[in-house]
Amino acid sequence: MTHPGIEAQVDAFLDGELGEVDARELETHLAQCPECARFRDGRLELRSAIAAGIPTFQAPVALRERVRAAGARGPLRFPVRRLWRPLAVAASLAVVAFGTWNLALRHSASETLADGLLASHIRSLMPGHLTDVLSSDQHTVKPWFNGRLDFSPPVYDFAGRGYPLLGGRLDYVDGRAVAALVYGRRQHLINVFLWPATRGAAAPAARSRHGYHLLHWITADYSYWVVSDLGLAELQEFTRLVRQADSAIYDSSGRPISQ
Amino acid sequence: MESSELARFEAAVLPHLDAAYTLARYLTRNASDAEDVVQDACLRALKYFEGFRGEPGASGTGARAWLLAIVRNTAYSSRRRQRADALATEFDETQHSDAVAEDNPEGVLLQKAAKETLRRALDRLAPEFREVIVLRELQGLSYKEISDVTGVPVGTVMSRLSRARTRLQQALRGEEER
Repeated sequence: MTHPGIEAQVDAFLDGELGEVDARELETHLAQCPECARFRDGRLELRSAIAAGIPTFQAPVALRERVRAAGARGPLRFPVRRLWRPLAVAASLAVVAFGTWNLALRHSASETLADGLLASHIRSLMPGHLTDVLSSDQHTVKPWFNGRLDFSPPVYDFAGRGYPLLGGRLDYVDGRAVAALVYGRRQHLINVFLWPATRGAAAPAARSRHGYHLLHWITADYSYWVVSDLGLAELQEFTRLVRQADSAIYDSSGRPISQ
Repeated sequence: MESSELARFEAAVLPHLDAAYTLARYLTRNASDAEDVVQDACLRALKYFEGFRGEPGASGTGARAWLLAIVRNTAYSSRRRQRADALATEFDETQHSDAVAEDNPEGVLLQKAAKETLRRALDRLAPEFREVIVLRELQGLSYKEISDVTGVPVGTVMSRLSRARTRLQQALRGEEER
């Protein structure tokens, strides 16, 4: 047996992902421990076996051409391969419908806001954009906003319910700086945007765009938007958790108890 | 699309199309589904391209991880839609059979069998394990980039990668997990 916990360390070492100090320590250990050295050799063998046996693929020329052509035509006229495929049909209909609707109607203010929030959600999925403060500890995330925003957003952790807090960041929505809290659900990410409410309370309402769901509601204090590619049912469950947690910090007169 | 925007889109997406297609191939385990996923992903990429600002100086890797993340999300959402389908095609004994023509020299035969075992073991890994292997071993992404693509913390990437490798080794040694 190798030493406990060392396997991932050895992997990180071989992947060049270990810090200098840790790497030196591990090298010393490997030099002294035949078991762990054997483990390392096994991993090196596996690496060559993968290099020899698991191929990478080249994108078919036709696919490359379709992507290039689509870029030239712009976002709304992507050629759909094999139209009878329900998936492709649904996708193209959604895009066409959205495009037509987009052109035909003036966006209401809240639709424009929804678009902006969806774009912000997508942008947050891009490398390095998800969190400014990376922490699953609500007592780390909440204070981080101090001095960065003119309000102190309520931050909860629902790890026990399968929605762990991953972190937070500042975002800019609708002409103001807002708090964005990031929660996880399996492989999905949930962005919770919130800022002080300027209108009266409203119950959650759902919208869908391109496979993403947006839920919006307003409490006595905050305007909330939740955006995710998570299924609607689960996103609604998550929304219920946030609303329960919110209402738990207010007494019956609607005043904050403490936080 | 304006020509400068088009050039930017092409520069961001086209160099990474092979990587996108390879990831899609291993996530869908099927050439034609992989094409659909990549095409669908590029459609999304195009749609949101204006929101994309690659980090200056590192736009190459930034764009790659960005595109791979979209490919991955697209593959997962199409997989959810086609779950019944996917389960039915998970493993085909005749297609994946080890049987090799008898006149092969023994060494070649053994080598072929080992490759086949490895490939099959990779296909059988849970997608969360399969993708870290593909991203790391085939595409050489850093843990941070893999974390960006998969949306899980670096520590989780590290432990998944380690567990995935152990499973592949077990398969190569002929130990069936479970």
